[in-house]
Parts: sequence; structure tokens; C-alpha cells
Amino acid sequence: MQAADIVTLLVNSLTWAMATFLVAAGLTLVFGTLHILNFSHGGFFMIGAYAAYSIADALGGSGSMAVYLFGSLAAGVLVALLGLVVDRLVLRRLAGVEDAYVLIATYALLLVCEGSTKLLWGLNYHSVMPPAVLDGAWIAGNAVLPKLSLFIVAAGVVVFVGLEYFLNRTGPGRLVKAIAADPWMARLLGVNVRLVYTATVAIGFALAGLAGGLLVSNQTLSPTLASAFVIQAFGVIIIGGMGSISGAFLGAILLGLIDAFGQWVLPGLPGLPFFVAMTLILLLRPQGLMGKAKH
Amino acid sequence: MTHLDRRSVLKYSAAAAAMAGVPGLVRAQSGPLKIGLITPLSGPQEFIGSYVRNGAEIAVEQINKAGGILGRQVALEIRDDKANPAAALAAARELLGAGINLHTGGISSAVVLALGPVMQQENGVFMTCGAGTEKMNHENYSPNLFRPGDAPDARTRAQARLMAEKYPEVTRWTGLVPDHEYGRTTWSIFVDALLEYYPAIAKKKPVILEPVLMPYGVADYRNGITQALRQQADGVFNCTYGGDAITMFQQARGFGLMQRYKVVCDAANEFLIARGMKQQLPPHWTGMHYYAEANKGNPMSDRFVADYLAKTKDAEPLGWAAEAHASLYAFKQAIEKGKSSETQAVIANLKGLTWDTATGPRTMRAEDNQAIKDVELVYIEPAATDKGYKVSQYTKVDGKSVIFPPSPGKKLSLKTA
Repeated sequence: MQAADIVTLLVNSLTWAMATFLVAAGLTLVFGTLHILNFSHGGFFMIGAYAAYSIADALGGSGSMAVYLFGSLAAGVLVALLGLVVDRLVLRRLAGVEDAYVLIATYALLLVCEGSTKLLWGLNYHSVMPPAVLDGAWIAGNAVLPKLSLFIVAAGVVVFVGLEYFLNRTGPGRLVKAIAADPWMARLLGVNVRLVYTATVAIGFALAGLAGGLLVSNQTLSPTLASAFVIQAFGVIIIGGMGSISGAFLGAILLGLIDAFGQWVLPGLPGLPFFVAMTLILLLRPQGLMGKAKH
Repeated sequence: MTHLDRRSVLKYSAAAAAMAGVPGLVRAQSGPLKIGLITPLSGPQEFIGSYVRNGAEIAVEQINKAGGILGRQVALEIRDDKANPAAALAAARELLGAGINLHTGGISSAVVLALGPVMQQENGVFMTCGAGTEKMNHENYSPNLFRPGDAPDARTRAQARLMAEKYPEVTRWTGLVPDHEYGRTTWSIFVDALLEYYPAIAKKKPVILEPVLMPYGVADYRNGITQALRQQADGVFNCTYGGDAITMFQQARGFGLMQRYKVVCDAANEFLIARGMKQQLPPHWTGMHYYAEANKGNPMSDRFVADYLAKTKDAEPLGWAAEAHASLYAFKQAIEKGKSSETQAVIANLKGLTWDTATGPRTMRAEDNQAIKDVELVYIEPAATDKGYKVSQYTKVDGKSVIFPPSPGKKLSLKTA
């Protein structure tokens, strides 16, 4: 294995990791605070991607970085508004309900997302080109580093740093963490827990929409996009520790590295190292990398 | 007074029951002829399944407008198989239980292979509209399964022969192969054909590199793309398909992978990649079940295209629609030939049948229920047009010259097996 190969594989693994983290971040936030595993999260990521595609199309295409970023942010805002509706109509009613019913309800929501997408945008596949500044690759010796890959890595890191800063260094963020830890005590201390829950849902959905927009050029746009990341998103959340943003971030990087280097070592068995790694990590640390062990 | 004994009561009751069934029997003979359409209408294959459905519905409308089959109007009983064998089996059993013995649809290889034994057990007939498995004509052969469209081996071998004819200097070949049965088999057939045609036509021995196995149904192909970059092949044969193929091609752009090859040959995506990527697509050869432009002047094709446009506002129906269309016309002709829609009569009359389709006449080979049809190959390039692409080359290969001889019940024998 040459240095160029190592560099390329590192960038590939980080690209996979950050794309997965971008999708998983909102899911982890909502689960960590409301303890609801939102099975429809992929559906809202998909809606965000389609929204960003339509916005860019209306503004003359995604050729400009400004349009691309604007489309992503606008998609985040749109999906956040959808999140408020979903919270009002569905998620509030799932508080204290058995996990099985939560999964059924959020799966039904996913079907609504897929059906709506088909109705609004049809069945055709779409391929959205990245902005001109992200097209092509940097060549470092023999290593080929696509600019879009580097953008996705940077976006994932920015979202992670932003979320960590929000949760640990701001008042509202610390409030979210406090309510996640002990909502009863928070209520006793006069905190409007319901309002914080609603805001958390909005942020979680906004992250899904933003991820959809930022990743719209990464893969084909189709009504099956919701399921494209779901396995790996749930994988990094479980590995990282349910509800831990930093755990999801580290879990994504770890699994990305294992997947990339695993395919180098075992090219005839694509995907196997990912599942073997997940199994081993859960056997050794069932609570996940950053989760708290149950006693 | 007439004496009614038990024997008489039983006799007259049986007669009455039989008479009560007669109107139903008469209605069944004169009511619509129901044909099952089992195809993916949701899930990852829904996009292609929608073409199958449209093609079948157009065929039924055309047939009914012309008087139906043996004076009976045709009605489709449509079921969603979700490209999943379990769902397909449930749908098939439901329709067979309701007395519907003729079926079409099925684009998933796993579905078609699962349906073969059931059709045999329950006395039904199934026609696939695009499943790529060669096993249905070989070790998994069932007399009740038919393929009215391209033989997968015929198309793949035609592609390899074309590469030897047009690109004799391209001798280092690799494959981008999805890690499942269809992908691996298609690659094996292509390699087998390269090993046959390059020495014969180009007078050179091809170098076959280890194919890059791509995961199926994922959103990231970068590791596979990187592997392919390291190989330094001159030609590549892509077996990934649908949304996976578009994602893979899209991500490969960032690496400049496709630009490194002297020729890109795609197994079966028709215009899917071209429509998705438009002006960004890499130039490539691909196989078509049906290319409308090349079949202009064929009255059946012209009518099919016009009806398809009127129904869907799509002026370029993809091949799966044409295969569904062809399957209904095959049923029509087989039923009319045998004057019966009963399963064994239809099977007997499908075998050896030559019938007209949108691509011209086809013949259903009696030995293995595989149609022999000409292979259509196109070279697609990006273009500054509304569509974003154009077909700059078209080749029609005589199907008889590339199809393997029939060997139902036996495993396909390849040089690379």
C-alpha cells in the first residue's frame, strides 16, 4: 500500500463518515432529548434534498456555491417547519408510549414522506451536479481527492463543532442537555420543557433538511433516498452511544475507516467489515463508545 | 304419486347444482380475460416497474380496441411484488387461486426464479419483462416460465463482440460489478465472450482484471471507484444499474474515473444514466431492450410510441415498457392460435411462436422458452440539447448469431466458470 493509497482511503472514509454523521446528527439529537427513535428521519433528509434541488433549479441550477449553500440552508428551514407540524401531530403523542408503537408511528410517517415525494417530484432519477468550485479533484502526488468529498468532510466537521458548541457552551444548549438528563427536575425548576422539546425537534429536523441539501450532489435523487443512509446512520448512532452527538461523530469515523480499509483488504467481500466491526464493538461495549453503561 | 327415493334426490340435487354453475361457467368464458401483472410498483424497482405497467396497459388497450382475444376483452389484475420474492409469491398464489392462470411482469431475477416452481405446481404461466437471470433458461428452467425479451447472454455477448470489432486495441478489461447473482453472472458471460471474440476478431488475447465488486443499494461507491482507479484498465464493463449506477457514475466523476477508460460499456441501463446525468454523463455504450428511434417505420412501434406519449407524456419509452407490450401480444397470439387460454394450451402455443413486436418479429425458442430477438446497442454522448444527451451510434446485432444454444435444466457452461 503506497502513501497515495492511504491518503485516498482516509479521505474516502472521512467522506463516508461525515455524510453519515450529517444524516445521523439530527436523529441523535432528537433521541437524546426526547428518547424517540424517529424512523422517518431519512424521509425528511430526502425531502430536504429534493427541496434543495428544486430551489437550485428555480435559481438557475446549482453551478454557484452561493446557490448551493442557500438551497441547503433553505431546505433546513423548510424541513424544520415540517418538523414543528410533525411534533404537534405525531411526536407529542408518542411521549411515554411503548417503543414498538413509536417505531410503527414513525415508520408510517416515513411512508407519508415517500408518498409525498413521489406525488410532488415523480419517480424519475435526478443527478444534481456540484457547484463548479466543487467539481473535479485535487491531485496530491498519486492521490486523487475529489473536491466534493473534501467539502462533505468539512461540512460534517462544521456541523459537529456547531452542535457541540451549542449544546455545551450556550444557555439554550445546556438547557436541552439538562432536560435530556432529568425532565422532571427541569419542570420543577420552572423550565418550559414542552417548548424546549419542540425547539429540539425543530433543530433535529433542520439538521436532516440541511444534510439533504449539503449531500444533494453526493448521490442520485430518487424517492428511495430515505433508505440510502438509514442502515449506516442507525449503525453509527448505536456504536456511538444512543443520544451522544460526539459518540455518533466518533462512531462514524471509526466505521468509515473500517469500511474503507476493510474493502482494501477484502475486496471480494464489500460491506462485511462494517457489520463485523459493529458486532464486535457492541459485544465489547454494548452501551456504545460514549454511552453510559446500565447498572 | 311419484315416489322419491334417496337415490333420486341425490341425482336430481347433483344435476341442479351443476345447472347452477352453468351461468358462472358461461360468464367466465364470455367475461373479460384476466391476465395478472405482477411487477414492482413500490420500493427500489418502482421506477422500472412503472414502465412495465404502462407498456402492459397500452398493449391491453390496443388489443381491446381491436376486438380483444377470441372476442373477449382483456383485463389486467395488477399486483405489486415490490421486487421481493415473498410478496411476488403471495400475489401469484392469490391470482392463481382466483382462477387467473396467465401472468406477466417480473423484472427481478429473484422474483422470477421463485415464481417458476409455483407456476408449475399451480398450473400457471409467467412471462418476465426484463429479469436478467440466465438461470431461468438453464438450471432453474421451468416449462411454465417464459422470457419474451432479450436473452441476457445474447445481449452481453453482442456487447463483447462489438468491443472486439470497434476497439481491438482495448485489451485490458475490468468490471464494475454489483455483489449479487445478476452482477456476477453478467460479468462472467461478458468475460467468456471477450475470451472468444478478441482472439477471433481482434487477433489479440484480452487481459481480464479482477472485477471491482460494488455493494448493492448504498449511497457511497468511493472505495470501489478508488479500487478501479488503481487497476489502470483500458475498458470497463459496468453491471451496476438504476439509481446505484447513477450514484456510482456521479461519484466517479469527481475521480475522473470514466475519463481514464478508452471505452465504457454499460450492461443494461438504457437511458437511465443519460437522463439522470444529462450533459455530465460519460460517453458509453449500453444495451437497449428497445430503441424507439431505430424502430421508426415499424407500424407496431410507431403506434406504441404514439400511445405511450399520449398516456404518459414521455416520448421515449424505455425498453421494459416494450417488453411488457411484447409479452401481452405473445399471449394474444398463443391463445388465438390454440383457441384456448388454458395453461397447457398456451404453453404449447408459445413454444416456437413467431410474433410481431415493436422491435420486429421474435421467435420463442421451444426448448428453453427464451425468445430470440435482435440485440440493440447504442452509444450515448452528452449533447447541448434539451435532453442533455444524444445517441451517436446504433448497432443491431442478429440475436441468432450471439445467443447460446439451448440447455434447459443444465448449468450454463462458461470458459471462466
